[in-house]
Amino acid sequence: MPSFMLLLHRPLERGPMADPEAVARITRDYMDWADRTRAAGRLKAGSKLTDDAGRILRNAGGRVATTDGPFVESKEIVGGYFLISAGDYAEACRIAAECPHLKYGSYIEVRQVEEL
Amino acid sequence: MTEAAPALEDLFRHEAGKICAWLVRLLGPGRLELIEDAVQDAFSAALAQWRFEGTPQRPAAWLAIAARNKALDRLRREMRLESLDPSDEAAAWRLGFSNPEDTGKPDDTLALMFVACHPALGDEEQTMLTLQTVCGFNARQIARAFLSTPEAVTQRLVRAKRRLRDLKLTVEIPEGAELAGRLPGLLNAIYQLFTGGYTAAEGDQLMTEQRCAEALRLVRLLCEHPHASTGETHALAALICFHHARAAARTGATGDVVLLAEQDRARWDAGLLARGFGHLRRAMAAPELTALHLEAGIAAVHASAPSFAQTDWPALVHYYEALIELKPTPVVKLNAAIAQGYADGPGAGLAQLDELAGSTQLSRYAHYHAARGDLLLKLGRRAEAGAALRQALECPLNGAERDYLLRKLRACSTPARQAHS
Repeated sequence: MPSFMLLLHRPLERGPMADPEAVARITRDYMDWADRTRAAGRLKAGSKLTDDAGRILRNAGGRVATTDGPFVESKEIVGGYFLISAGDYAEACRIAAECPHLKYGSYIEVRQVEEL
Repeated sequence: MTEAAPALEDLFRHEAGKICAWLVRLLGPGRLELIEDAVQDAFSAALAQWRFEGTPQRPAAWLAIAARNKALDRLRREMRLESLDPSDEAAAWRLGFSNPEDTGKPDDTLALMFVACHPALGDEEQTMLTLQTVCGFNARQIARAFLSTPEAVTQRLVRAKRRLRDLKLTVEIPEGAELAGRLPGLLNAIYQLFTGGYTAAEGDQLMTEQRCAEALRLVRLLCEHPHASTGETHALAALICFHHARAAARTGATGDVVLLAEQDRARWDAGLLARGFGHLRRAMAAPELTALHLEAGIAAVHASAPSFAQTDWPALVHYYEALIELKPTPVVKLNAAIAQGYADGPGAGLAQLDELAGSTQLSRYAHYHAARGDLLLKLGRRAEAGAALRQALECPLNGAERDYLLRKLRACSTPARQAHS
């Protein structure tokens, strides 16, 4: 079965959440979705990425140029990812549509993994 | 209460260590207390819920998910009380993305062992914390092993965990020189786990066997790790295999203790003995020679003797002499004297034992007085033998050992021709 990457985009500017109840509730929502998807045999992996904006490497005329975030090009960054298996894009999107990230983040980019 | 209780207790104990190791990986050793509590919450929930709904299809996965959810609940409560820390939020997210199927990874267990055996803790705390976090024993069971009360054990464990929290440790298996420095502490904790289990001071056969089995499981984990599998690690594995192989033969039909001399060697576990010799070969292939090498060598001499009478006593005396150089403890000297008693006659052994008479540690050690009683009996000095055995009976003993000594004591008062037991 093909694999799909769910890239969880979120706004770059996001202060730490003040309310511990909210942190626990949101985390629980992700947990429940992950458990359900895993129990259905569809979730293969997933991780949150750290809250900093990361680094970008570019080839600048033969040498590597490293830029620290935040990046002017984007107001959004990838905050985490899930790797799922699904029959096709339609099914992958049905699974992703249930993900609480659509409630708490900004959008989910669904990409099929090219099988070699 | 329920018929399933012992089976559940077994399941809980086996899963507790795995779940704890997994959650420590996710939340860090600083949250060991929270994790232990969450695991207990999960077990309480299981007891309450499974009684009515039946045991779930995959009880281990159920417990892992429940423990993780309880950990999040507790984290939320802590965050509310102590104001939100960014590391709390990160910990909550790690729980949120975690996979309960990840429990039971050997590396997580090893990393937790390195946390529990941190040099900032005393030897006893290290062993207690290993018993609790890595092996899943509760305070009541640990208290039995340490001749203490559950309350006292709980206190010590709480203090130990707070000390670890203050150290702000990370969860990792040390490498290189740090690993070399930390490994002896781990081996010592496993050694204590095993020797404490091998002759539990108070009768508790089940706990004894479980502790030995845990010691064997943990040392084998170390043996399978590319950098922790040193000669000394293999020596400890060999030692535990040799002793554990005799477990069945050590206890008679009625639970009485059967001494090495009288054991039915056909009941020794041949598979474990073979594994012991495998570990010993690898231990001997390493350049270093440690006390554990010599102790394993001693156990191997016994393991390879076809009968007690055919034991290579001079080889044992030789090993003990070398061992005294590395580990000059009263108990080692006691065993050396006993070996000498067999190699060179009871008179020679007794002379050695009497040289140790001043040791306060041995004066409270039943085996010392029992060994004296045995040699005195062989020399026909029954009154002195009886006095020595009575002294042995005043020391801490398990039930089987007590029965054995009482039988021996009766032999002291019977006519000489029957006094061969």
